[in-house]
Amino acid sequence: MGDYILLAVSCIFVNNILLIQYLGNCPFLGVSKKMETATGMAMAVVFVLVLAGAITWVVNHLLLKPFGVEYLRTLAFILVIASLVQFVELFLKKSIPALYAGLGIFLPLITTNCAVMGVCLINIKEEYSFMQALIASLTYAIGFGLALILFAGVRERILLARVPKPLQDTSIGLVGAGMMSLAFFAFKGMV
Amino acid sequence: MLGMLGGILVMGTVGVVVGVGLALASKIFYVYVDPKIEAVDEALPGANCGGCGYPGCGSNAEAIVAGKSSPSSCVAGGTEIAEEIAEIMGMKLEAREPDIAMPGCSYGLHVADVKYIYNGINDCRAAVLLNGGTKVCPIGCLGLGTCVQACPFDALSMGPDNLPVVDPDRCTGCGTCERICPKHIITLTSHTRRIQAEHTTDECTAPCQRACPAGIDIPAYIHQIAEKNYAEAVRIIKETNPFPAICGRICVQPCEYDCRRNLVDEPVAINHLKRFVSDYERTSGERINVPRAPETGKRIAVVGGGAEGLTAAYLLNRLGHDSTAYEATAQMGGILRIGLPENRLPRDVLDWEINGILDAGVQALTNQKLGRDFTIDSLLKEGFSGVFVATGGWDSQLSDQLSEKSDGPLQTLPGVQLLIDFILNQRAGKASPAGKNVMILGGGKSGLEAARAALKNGSENVNIVLRSSLERSSFSEEELVAAEQEGIQFYFQSAVTRMQGEGSKLSHVEIAHILNSDEEETHTERELLSVDTMLTGAGRFPELIYVVRKEEGEADEEEEAELPDPVPWETLIPYPGPSAEEDIGIFRPGEVTGDYKAVVEAIGSGRRAASSIHRFLTDEPVEAPANMIRTYTRVLSLEQLEPVTELPRQKMPERTHEEQIADPSAEIALGFSEEQAVTEAKRCLQCGLICYRRVEGKTIH
Repeated sequence: MGDYILLAVSCIFVNNILLIQYLGNCPFLGVSKKMETATGMAMAVVFVLVLAGAITWVVNHLLLKPFGVEYLRTLAFILVIASLVQFVELFLKKSIPALYAGLGIFLPLITTNCAVMGVCLINIKEEYSFMQALIASLTYAIGFGLALILFAGVRERILLARVPKPLQDTSIGLVGAGMMSLAFFAFKGMV
Repeated sequence: MLGMLGGILVMGTVGVVVGVGLALASKIFYVYVDPKIEAVDEALPGANCGGCGYPGCGSNAEAIVAGKSSPSSCVAGGTEIAEEIAEIMGMKLEAREPDIAMPGCSYGLHVADVKYIYNGINDCRAAVLLNGGTKVCPIGCLGLGTCVQACPFDALSMGPDNLPVVDPDRCTGCGTCERICPKHIITLTSHTRRIQAEHTTDECTAPCQRACPAGIDIPAYIHQIAEKNYAEAVRIIKETNPFPAICGRICVQPCEYDCRRNLVDEPVAINHLKRFVSDYERTSGERINVPRAPETGKRIAVVGGGAEGLTAAYLLNRLGHDSTAYEATAQMGGILRIGLPENRLPRDVLDWEINGILDAGVQALTNQKLGRDFTIDSLLKEGFSGVFVATGGWDSQLSDQLSEKSDGPLQTLPGVQLLIDFILNQRAGKASPAGKNVMILGGGKSGLEAARAALKNGSENVNIVLRSSLERSSFSEEELVAAEQEGIQFYFQSAVTRMQGEGSKLSHVEIAHILNSDEEETHTERELLSVDTMLTGAGRFPELIYVVRKEEGEADEEEEAELPDPVPWETLIPYPGPSAEEDIGIFRPGEVTGDYKAVVEAIGSGRRAASSIHRFLTDEPVEAPANMIRTYTRVLSLEQLEPVTELPRQKMPERTHEEQIADPSAEIALGFSEEQAVTEAKRCLQCGLICYRRVEGKTIH
């Protein structure tokens, strides 16, 4: 149990996918202008990443390993994740329209999200068990959401500040992201 | 072991399984989406600006397909996209004049008076929380560019004087800036909107503008003269006044009395400048017109070819309707032709102006007299959507002895007669037809005389409707008691709000009892009385619009349904102008004699009638904006100016006395030269509410 908690803390804070590992930078800058979209994106990532983490672990251990074609991992994962997202979109539209209305527009964005892909690959590289992979996926996604929502809050405030012209918009966003990243580096050594 | 083949096999299998799985899933989880919604969504620009009133293009697409939103609701897309959507929907497109954003403040922070120096969050919405913003002027632009940031089409930028500048090519009229501006300064505008506009307390208006009964944007046209854009100046004037050459000669120029230059030296020669640009138009030979809005296909008849009728007809034409003016005499022009001397208003100038209106597309029929050659219901039957009556005063009725040529008064408006005609006929012993139920509107003691005469002639119910209260009426208590014993019923503090009838007969009159009126609103109680004859105490027929009456619950049928015979009609009263003291009913106090005073008043009434008809036809309420500046509205202004260089007013060149005696009909005033006009235009202080052009230049910090 303690190991799992340790793993969770490590994934959320110490090895935060956005601010420490620098994966998924495009949604980090793209959808962080408004709190509303940031929250939606965070939810969608949590939802998809847990599913993707589980299914890629299964694909790796039951398909790629027995046939000895692990060198095709990246390709296979892309295929599986992309079709998974497609499938989830279709499923939600039919069965849970309310959830689809909330997450719908974010799902296609995740299809090509390197944070999702990255976490799946990390799960394999770290040789996690299925349970560990599941926990890691969930907590990495929570870490993603945490960073994204915090950053959206910062950017909403920046919008009201007097920013020198050359630094406006994405530039000041990147500066802010850098500072947040430095702050998260303080978690290093906790685990 | 398996090598490359294995890889191909594994990936191929995974691919096939996933592909088949997704194909099955798309069948199993298929949700029906109206293909129209997708097609409309595809056609929309995808800017998600919210100009349609929906949160994004997707929701508007759904609303369009559901019939809740119009195919032309996308302001960003323009006509092309609207046509495309209308085609998808299989609907006919209602053409609309595009809007464009217009900043309503022309004095930036560095020249305007400020209360304090703002150094907070760089957003107008934040700045306005601090005592309404930095400027002393309550409707001054705060200049922090919130509208520029909000514009989804990059059509706005901040100009050098910290005021937003609109790029007309990029502006789509989505209205995002209008919605975001915390002071409601930047607004959408179009010719259609400006023709209908009344000055409101939310606008930056100059004193001259507020004084003008026609509501001309005076500082704007004078600015164009100073810039030598004479054609643009004419266009600005014509948005509210189609007679610049006539007004420029005979206007009583109330604007000049309110000119702020009076505080320094002499007023700007506003009217002479108007004459100068109109003469420029006349000598250039090219007509300058307000662009016409897309055709609506509606026809409006205007009864009366005087200044008021022609103004209404011209502006209705510019608003996209087809208007036809009916004139009883042989020539258009009304009092302008009959009442004014040649040396003040040469007839060729009058003809030029009238021909301009006719060239713009207004139909005119002369020798057509209401009651003799046509009637209100014959016009409605012909397919006119409305009939506007601008027949003017009793004097104009008499001007060519029209009423004397016929036996007794002509039946002009259904069931309505002038009290004076009724009494004169009565006294002369001629037959004066009065029905069973008679209503007399005002008229003081002669109203009482007429009431008694009507009773003697066999009328059963006689009502007298008065604006004034019992205490302030001209009747003594004995008179009232006696009259009531004779069966005359009095309605004090009441106004006629509507007439109804069929064909050439009046059947009902709605009156409103004014219970109490405070500053906020007037409380009324409405009552529908059976009336077949109405005698009006005023010396003229009211300005009225007759429209076909629709029974309640009857839907607006799209096809031209056959009108029942006789045509049921009702009246629509144009909304009150700034000088009206009350908003209710015909003959509002303060407005009655408006069009007698000056041509510019008649032009103003004509424009309000055109605007009222347009509002009626577009299903908007026929009422003045709640924040319209009225005669009694207190508007922030200035009592004194900081030193401004004195500049003498240009003198109007005139014919010498000898020349005047030699040729008495030649026009006396000769008009400004171009140099004089530009010099005079530069005297204008370009006033706003409290800002003005400080010639000296001013520092504030």
